[in-house]
Amino acid sequence: MNRKKIATVWLGGCSGCHMSLLDIDELILEVAKLADIVKSPIVDCKELPDVDIALIEGSVTSDEHMNELLHIRKHAKVLVALGDCAVMTNVTGMRNYFPLKEVFDAAYVDAVSNDSEGSVPGHPALLHLNDKVVPLPEVVDVDFVIPGCPPGADAIFYVLSEFLNDRIPDLNETKKLRYG
Amino acid sequence: MNKLTIYIDDKQFQAEPGKSILEVCREHDIEILTMCHLKGVNDVGACRLCLVEIEGMSKLLSACTTKITANMVIHTKTERIKKYQRITTELFFAERNHVCAVCVANGTCELQDLGYKVGMDHIRYPFLFPKCEVDTSHPWYVMDQNRCIMCTRCVRVCNEVEGAHNWDVKNRGYQVRIISDFDTPWGESITCTSCGKCLQACPTGALWPKAIVQGQMKKNPEIIDELMERRKMIL
Repeated sequence: MNRKKIATVWLGGCSGCHMSLLDIDELILEVAKLADIVKSPIVDCKELPDVDIALIEGSVTSDEHMNELLHIRKHAKVLVALGDCAVMTNVTGMRNYFPLKEVFDAAYVDAVSNDSEGSVPGHPALLHLNDKVVPLPEVVDVDFVIPGCPPGADAIFYVLSEFLNDRIPDLNETKKLRYG
Repeated sequence: MNKLTIYIDDKQFQAEPGKSILEVCREHDIEILTMCHLKGVNDVGACRLCLVEIEGMSKLLSACTTKITANMVIHTKTERIKKYQRITTELFFAERNHVCAVCVANGTCELQDLGYKVGMDHIRYPFLFPKCEVDTSHPWYVMDQNRCIMCTRCVRVCNEVEGAHNWDVKNRGYQVRIISDFDTPWGESITCTSCGKCLQACPTGALWPKAIVQGQMKKNPEIIDELMERRKMIL
């Protein structure tokens, strides 16, 4: 059997979903028997190659995320939205109630720790935040979702192992559905 | 009193006239999903989750507000009903700002449980992200409109059980909101007795005591029915 390729991507999230992925502990060896992790925040790889499964944490908050997500959709056979931010924006979407300028000012100008000297960073190499944060399904077709903040390690491993063994997972049937 | 014969999900039952379809179903452990129903206060049929199919009727009717009639043939688990339950649940989540991760009721929330029961893994509708007020003016309690699903259980408990009628409803459609007195801060209310029954009645994290933090809320909505039953004994 051909070894499968997995990518894990970190968009607008807190990396908690990746921590939960690491919480599968020694079961990562079971994953490694069937697949290679070819791109991940812990793998030195710039552009996402063709993969079988892409686990995507976080929501789309900027132009960089948008381009990355569109690229991933073209190169991933199965695109999995990992965690509440990717599925329904969650905490990252809480800035959607405010205009973007207020959000920037709250962090870079008005925060007490700035000692009244803060300014909004504007280096051309930095990404540009979108006005509104959106979940992955509003941008691309998502093949599977694992909600949860973070999703449980057992839910992540279950989904991975089902896909790696060419089966379709069912979180509802297996009572692994969770939000928050 | 002569009992009526009714049929629920192809089984025959005998039930007293005057009972609602929901009451009969609950007596016989037939699961009906509800959010706005709260034992001890009147039903209003607001949440539309308890919809059932009745043979001979083209419309779905809410089980909580529909009384049984003789030889009624009721279906509670058809594909049509399941489809509407899933849609209703998703709309609850999409309408306001339900961020489970930072909510006091995370893990004990009736809305979360509802999502699991209908198998909702994601929401197919765009989120509205409305700007909602959080009223922290009361010395002990908070009203967070972001997490309110307009079940009006708090309104009915305050009115029918406590008799204070601090809570009411303003506006319509997506602008509908729960208000204290004449839309004034809760802390300035002249009707609220601070009894806390609305907190117990609330199915989500919309009403909660200031003394607790994320995921700590333990609600006991059954207390409302217990109170009403004890009052019957006195009367």
